[in-house]
Amino acid sequence: MTRQNESTVLFDALGPKGKQRSMIASIISGAVILGVLALGALELAKDGFFEASRWVNPLDVLVVETTWIPAILDTLLAFALGSLVAIVLGVLIGFGRISRFTPTRAASSVYVQFFRSLPLVLLIWISFTIDGHFGFTSDVLGWSGDARRLTFLVLGLGIYNGAILAEILRAGVAALPPGQAMAGYAVGLSHGQVQRLIVLPQVLRNMLPAVLAQLVILLKDTSLGYVITYPELLHSANIIGRDYGRSYLQALVIAALIYFVLAYALSKLVVYAERRLRKKTAAPKAAAQLESTVAGGTAGSGVI
Amino acid sequence: MFDNFDLMAEALLEGMRVTTIVTLASYGIALVIGMILVVMHVSPAAPARWAANAYTQLFRNVPLLAVLLVMYFGLPSIGIDTTSWGVGLVGLGMYTGAFVGETLRSGINSIPLGQAEAARSIGLTFGQSLQTVILPQAFRAVIPPLGSLLIALVKNSALVLAIGITELTAMSRRLIEDDQSRFDLWGVIIGVTVSYLVIALVLSYLVRLAERRAAFVR
Repeated sequence: MTRQNESTVLFDALGPKGKQRSMIASIISGAVILGVLALGALELAKDGFFEASRWVNPLDVLVVETTWIPAILDTLLAFALGSLVAIVLGVLIGFGRISRFTPTRAASSVYVQFFRSLPLVLLIWISFTIDGHFGFTSDVLGWSGDARRLTFLVLGLGIYNGAILAEILRAGVAALPPGQAMAGYAVGLSHGQVQRLIVLPQVLRNMLPAVLAQLVILLKDTSLGYVITYPELLHSANIIGRDYGRSYLQALVIAALIYFVLAYALSKLVVYAERRLRKKTAAPKAAAQLESTVAGGTAGSGVI
Repeated sequence: MFDNFDLMAEALLEGMRVTTIVTLASYGIALVIGMILVVMHVSPAAPARWAANAYTQLFRNVPLLAVLLVMYFGLPSIGIDTTSWGVGLVGLGMYTGAFVGETLRSGINSIPLGQAEAARSIGLTFGQSLQTVILPQAFRAVIPPLGSLLIALVKNSALVLAIGITELTAMSRRLIEDDQSRFDLWGVIIGVTVSYLVIALVLSYLVRLAERRAAFVR
């Protein structure tokens, strides 16, 4: 039902007159858009946005080596650890929600509802603040400074996104034709075996695009390390910007562009995974497909 | 546990008020931007489609906090003055607008092609078929995802604390860091959680109401 070219949804193939008209519309809209861009660029140029020195200074070799590269690595580290925690929690809680044991189901459901309803920045910041309030501090474990900040950033990212991944996986289980599990029981597998050998692999496959899409969001959310001064990209860019006052805007724009490149590359991987994995499992029910169409192809896109 | 309950409740209510205002105002901006984007997306003019696509990709792949900081700390460095509220509302609105645009587009795409064909075949013009056949159905299909965007925006609105707006999260932070430690940590945590839950529940109730209202039109 999805169409490659949505521009043809609402009208038939154009005739000669229509083609002419759409050509004129293209030229006019193109001119208007270029005009707006040019006006914006002129305005920025007037304020010195494009001055070479403002761009070159924060990209000095020394700054790149001592700040930008470590910042990118710290961002990727938080992303990798956060994803790991989120996926482990997501699988555990997701299957907890469809467990046969009522207490497990209830606990998982409370977990999901609770953590989904709070802003991630609040979770990260509160867990960071709680530390040391109850006689126990993370200092006992020898963590300090950035390692401690990383821990709380990763915990926040993992706990929050774990709740969301759990929902995605649960939707995946619901979308799997029940015949799959039944067939498993029919050949004598136990409940655990059915979940582990038949349901989980197919669900992971079917939901991989949605999971990856959520991981793109997780990557963007590593920027929240800024509020607890973890030296990730945004925080570092802010420091560079303060050091080179004249390049404040430029430093932040560079950071935004790096985020863009990282997230865009990851989202391209989502598209690739979507294409590769199509039709490799028992077809998910139409409802799940419809839902993912309405949500813009990514089940997690409601949670920005 | 709830030491100085009145003071805490007062502060949290004030935070809820700010969070609600920020959320609703920026959602209004986001709806306008999203509608402009979706018109550009389905228009026959290629440059308009490209521009809409570029905007959407840009805001989908840059963290919201980066958008806010670029506008709030960056722009003044080249002499463009900004205010917390201006940046907060416009930044949140521009960011969420990209997602609203995508949601509206998938709403239009979710209408089976046969509907448009049927409308064309009984002689409706492009405008008529859009107005009487496609949009009413698309509108209904997008209410739930637009609702979940609104709920997500409640949580995203917490980020304006980084540019100095004291909304609910910033307010709870203030309570916990109170110099006279008049408030218990757990009391504040429970209070702020309940506050966010209340906002989310009220908004999702309103969304369900809108959904039911729209369903009756059919």
